[in-house]
Amino acid sequence: MRKRLRIYLPFAANELKRQLAYKGAFYLFILVNLFGSFISYYLWMAIYGSSEKAVIGGLTQKEMVVYVFMVYVTASIVTASISTMVSDDVVKGTVAMNLIKPIDYRLSLIAMASGNMAYRFLVPSVFIWIGLEIYKIKVLGLAPVTVMGIFLYLTSCIMSFLIYVLFDFCFGMLAFFTTYIFGMRMAKDALLSFLTGQLIPISFFPAAMQRVFDFLPFSSMVYTPVMIYLGKYTGETLAFMMLRQAAWVVLLYVAGSLIWRQVTKRLIVLGG
Amino acid sequence: MIEVSHISKDFVAPKKYPGLRGAVKGLFSTEKVIKTAVDDISFSIDTGEIVGYIGSNGAGKSTTIKMMTGILVPTKGTCTVAGINPSRNRKENAQNIGVVFGQRTQLWWDLPLSESFTILKEIYNVSDAEYAGQMEFLNRVLELQDFFDRPVRTLSLGQRMRADLGAALLHNPKVLYLDEPTIGLDLVVKDNIRKAIREINEKYRTTVILTTHDIGDIEELCSRIMIIDEGRKIYDGSLADLKDTYGTRRKVSMEVKQPEKAKGLRLHEILGVQETACSMSFSPENSMLCVTFDKHRLQVPQILSAVMAVVEVKDVQIQETELAEIVKEIYNHGVGGKA
Amino acid sequence: MNTVKRYLRLYRVLVTQFLKTIMQSRVDFLIGLLGFFFTQVMGIAFLYLVFQQIPSLQGWTLDQLIFIYGFAQIPRGIDHLFTDNIWLVAYRLVINGDFDRYMLRPMNIFFQVIAEKLQPDALGELLIGTILVVRSLTKGIVIVDGLHIALFFVSIFAGALIYTSIKLFFASLAFWLKVSGPFLQIAYDMANFAKYPTEIYSKGIRFLITWVIPFAFVAYLPASFFMKADTSAGVVGIECGIAFVFWWIAYAVFHRGTQVYESAGN
Repeated sequence: MRKRLRIYLPFAANELKRQLAYKGAFYLFILVNLFGSFISYYLWMAIYGSSEKAVIGGLTQKEMVVYVFMVYVTASIVTASISTMVSDDVVKGTVAMNLIKPIDYRLSLIAMASGNMAYRFLVPSVFIWIGLEIYKIKVLGLAPVTVMGIFLYLTSCIMSFLIYVLFDFCFGMLAFFTTYIFGMRMAKDALLSFLTGQLIPISFFPAAMQRVFDFLPFSSMVYTPVMIYLGKYTGETLAFMMLRQAAWVVLLYVAGSLIWRQVTKRLIVLGG
Repeated sequence: MIEVSHISKDFVAPKKYPGLRGAVKGLFSTEKVIKTAVDDISFSIDTGEIVGYIGSNGAGKSTTIKMMTGILVPTKGTCTVAGINPSRNRKENAQNIGVVFGQRTQLWWDLPLSESFTILKEIYNVSDAEYAGQMEFLNRVLELQDFFDRPVRTLSLGQRMRADLGAALLHNPKVLYLDEPTIGLDLVVKDNIRKAIREINEKYRTTVILTTHDIGDIEELCSRIMIIDEGRKIYDGSLADLKDTYGTRRKVSMEVKQPEKAKGLRLHEILGVQETACSMSFSPENSMLCVTFDKHRLQVPQILSAVMAVVEVKDVQIQETELAEIVKEIYNHGVGGKA
Repeated sequence: MNTVKRYLRLYRVLVTQFLKTIMQSRVDFLIGLLGFFFTQVMGIAFLYLVFQQIPSLQGWTLDQLIFIYGFAQIPRGIDHLFTDNIWLVAYRLVINGDFDRYMLRPMNIFFQVIAEKLQPDALGELLIGTILVVRSLTKGIVIVDGLHIALFFVSIFAGALIYTSIKLFFASLAFWLKVSGPFLQIAYDMANFAKYPTEIYSKGIRFLITWVIPFAFVAYLPASFFMKADTSAGVVGIECGIAFVFWWIAYAVFHRGTQVYESAGN
């Protein structure tokens, strides 16, 4: 394990450094993503204002504020995309190079994504999180989050991150079939923002669709940790949700390995 | 044809700091560094000249060329090409010039070469008759027809360079700028490219300015060379003059037995001349001691006996200095290195 | 006149070439189109889900919101189709020096930049925009008369010009900053605010998207003119005025930028 860390840690550190180097992008990234959250915020305020019910989709107006911004915090930690790197490697043909090196390609990508995650956690997320917590207590008058709550949330986030990255790895493999990854990514991002609960809580979906979502990994990526943070899951439900996340990590890891094996076989045959 | 007078170009860049902490520091820093890439250069070039513009990497060659082509606006000084100020009247100037950057193509990557030429014909407003005539000429000297229907990205480097040269010449420019036109090419292709440049120059009296690291380009093409170093012009004259002035140098290479003794040798002191008249270098890997000296001042036996008095010599080689060496010498020591 | 002809002829040649290359990669084309189509479909699905819970949003019905949403896509799609290469100026061409090639040719630089690429992905946006506008026509929620039809097209073109100007302005910052992509991204994403009625936002944001980065004039404001009889046609007039002023500023900045362009390799 120590040795592994020694090998893969530089990938993470390097990525963190690379991200820090983009000075302009650094500040702006924060803003761009926050825009979406503010649009959501105002939209939800208007929606609750137009509603006769105080609770919509299982959330009060105040909880919805927390939801909207925690979705932002969570998504910016979790969605450290590696599919771009994968597809770049495929398109440039450097994947084959990675087969020669004595390191696990996927692990090195995950390490890089962790660096990216660390950066996003440090820079926008943690401050927005703190800001939100203060707002939540002072303005909304909700109870502060407990230490246990933070612990559970972060644990859940780490699993979400792994689910996302492992899924994204599989997605990046599509580059073997089409060169136009930009278009694929547009479609993926659109679909994910919907299915992970970023755009709207899963609880707003018709019951039948929610059943279907139970069998997909997407709600485990963002929705689950946010609901945990909101304290919507307790006792058995909480345990079940986190176990389900863990199961997805394992499942996607195995799926990724299988796809990778197939793809490398093909690579060797074709001489990619 | 080209008048450049007291031209300078400064670049401003944010200061960079090393390491991870440096990256964080850089976020909050607004410190700037000014770099003068071209520093008060003047020259004039006549119609039909082929001028070699040489200097080490980062010496300011490309920057000068970019100012003459209208890509960059000079910080100070003026420049006129065929009576036009390139940065002020960019479009008029562009019609008069052709440019080839060896490392970067001006063609459309995904399009067949023929289509690129069709587009260029429209861009440069070349009439059908002119186009036909020029294509005939270009096909003859550059043999474009071999790969005329292939997409540019599938061309080999040599073919691409021929294509780029052809594209730059389609509108029969008065001035042709070539930035490292033979970089990365094999000898045969290099030779073809040089021949083509010569033919174009002879046929149309096209003024050619070329930057290169390849001494062969200069020896075969240029009647005049300009050397630039750290943004300043340090030599401007004929190739023959340069050879006369610096060709008086000879080089003796000796393989020695005791490297530790050879290293500390101060040969010019032993011989009682200035270091510029007798410089030496030592490479420990193969125990070679190289002495470059002025043949008007010193003789080979003098050098040999001075060296052999200190170390044992296994093998000796004597060479006349090549142009490449001269240029290297000028880069290293500047024109002040003149004996 | 001759110059205009020459530019048109060249544009035709470039576009034909470009279409040929697209036809060689039809799958990519389809993927891109669907990608952008999907993104917008998700936005509609969101509205639909929300309206399962509420009857109307501050007086706007679902159908009306869908019209605003769809109408917003059309100028966006037009600009996207024709001027997508501006993004490359912001992200790549300036910093790696590829912008050199535009400087070396005897034609207008802006023309060269946009003529080099058509973005077929934009058809996804144009498609969904058209579908939603047609849907609104069948629902009878938009006013159909000579004036409104004429102004519909005027508004679309002015809107596209506003998009182009905002893109060009922020992309031009790359001449000073080397890379201005993130700034451009922010400005471009502001357009998302204008997909919904601007009354829902706080005063500051409303001011920002109406007068500073005036996307409200591309989407929501003219869209409401087409739905509500009591809205003055002046809103389209202001839209045109803004389009010209912003275009003038953006082009001036771009032109100034080409003067301070530093190329690469230093």
